[in-house]
Amino acid sequence: MKTGLTVFLATAVAFGASWLGLVYGPIAQLGGQQQTVVLQSGDTWPQQRTGDATLGLQVYRAYGCAACHTQQARQSGVADEITLTSLGSDKAADLKDYVKTLLVLPSLLEASNTIVANLEAWNGQVPLTLYSGQDSAVVATLADKLKAGGLKTDARVVASGPDLARGWGVRQSVAADYLYDVPVQLGSLRAGPDLSIIGVRSPDVNWQLQHLYAPRSLVKSSTMPAFRFLFTVRKAGAQPAPDALVLPPEFAPAAGLEVVPTAEARQLAAYLVSLKATAPLYEAPFTPVTAAK
Amino acid sequence: MNDENKSCCPPPEAEPTATRSAAPMWIIVVTLMVLFFGGLYLDSHSGWFDAKVYAPYNSAEMLESFQPLSGAAQAAAQGKKVYEAVCGICHGVDGAGKPGQAPPLAGSEWVTAKGMSRLTHIPLQGLNGPIKVAGKDWTLNMAAMGAALPDSDLAAVLTYIRNSWGNKAGEVSADDVKKVRDAIGGHPQPMSGDDLTKMPE
Repeated sequence: MKTGLTVFLATAVAFGASWLGLVYGPIAQLGGQQQTVVLQSGDTWPQQRTGDATLGLQVYRAYGCAACHTQQARQSGVADEITLTSLGSDKAADLKDYVKTLLVLPSLLEASNTIVANLEAWNGQVPLTLYSGQDSAVVATLADKLKAGGLKTDARVVASGPDLARGWGVRQSVAADYLYDVPVQLGSLRAGPDLSIIGVRSPDVNWQLQHLYAPRSLVKSSTMPAFRFLFTVRKAGAQPAPDALVLPPEFAPAAGLEVVPTAEARQLAAYLVSLKATAPLYEAPFTPVTAAK
Repeated sequence: MNDENKSCCPPPEAEPTATRSAAPMWIIVVTLMVLFFGGLYLDSHSGWFDAKVYAPYNSAEMLESFQPLSGAAQAAAQGKKVYEAVCGICHGVDGAGKPGQAPPLAGSEWVTAKGMSRLTHIPLQGLNGPIKVAGKDWTLNMAAMGAALPDSDLAAVLTYIRNSWGNKAGEVSADDVKKVRDAIGGHPQPMSGDDLTKMPE
């Protein structure tokens, strides 16, 4: 075979190119992920999971939760916002006129017009979003100007997008969030909601357990299958077991029986409440609402 | 039979031969335009494949411009962290001090003094001998706990204790700390309350 070398080299190049693109490239780009610092705080992110939560990831994987749930909140926009947080001792009407006099700056004409328009449409309630824009230099100048004028305002970075509007996240998911997930349970189909901050949305372990046993006892319209095989229904003693589920009557077993979670159910619930991707990071900045108050 | 065939059919046409013709100009132009606009798009949307830059950010500069503005909140968090690691063990996380160990910082006139110079000398040089704090006499030793801290950390701690637990006093900058540190020189000696009182505030 005269062309053997050519065929070998061509094959090596073809496979090598895909390997470079699909394996080496991503590792070179994201393989060096480490714990990062949470913005404006000394904390690190993410935290290593402990005990039950570590095992829970394997339960999550084993029962194919990722077939119907994703763990990646997406973000489509970001804006710098200036919000009027408090009226102080002023009246809304006076404040309206005062803010207008503050903003006579040709360089900020467009932003000023927006603010004036927002003030015109204002019903006098705080907080009021005065301005929302992409140019942080303009926002910084405006914020200084308003602050120098003695207004109680707050400049915030706000992430936005359909996922975030649903309350499925406060910022987009980034590679650092999955640092300790082996394997990463990204998911690609959303038959159920995204779970990247389920530990913040439903932080109660008992809620999680009851939801696994009888989803429709908590969320009427849920289409999630009940994971009853993760629980043991057994004869109740004189005293109910401390970890027995407290269920509404239509979901409770017959009298004299009680429902207790197995170790797997507890691990899965512990894993779910550990999903809390809400820390502001350098690569996904935003101003937390609690810190602003 | 063969003869019959020959007579019935026209002679086969000549074998076609390959010729070269130039690619149409419009394909070349369209390809170049696609490459050009693809390059422009890559330039403005790829973030240069930076691992930190995710959509909707287009570049590292854009990401940088959206970092929260206030450095003050960050300094306060850093001050609290360093305080709890270094100072809080004796002075208490609540700044109330501990009898027989360390005087309080909350409500201490040394901490909330108008100037920051005397206060800055204490962690840099240490204390030895009597000192009056909030109406009480203390005679204890304090090592130069702040001498090994970077200027920015020490400034953050001093700002933190001057503005916590009801204290209200001005901020201390890293430059202020550096000035005091330079003035002390290489061999800091512990001071007493009297030594401090002789210094400018």
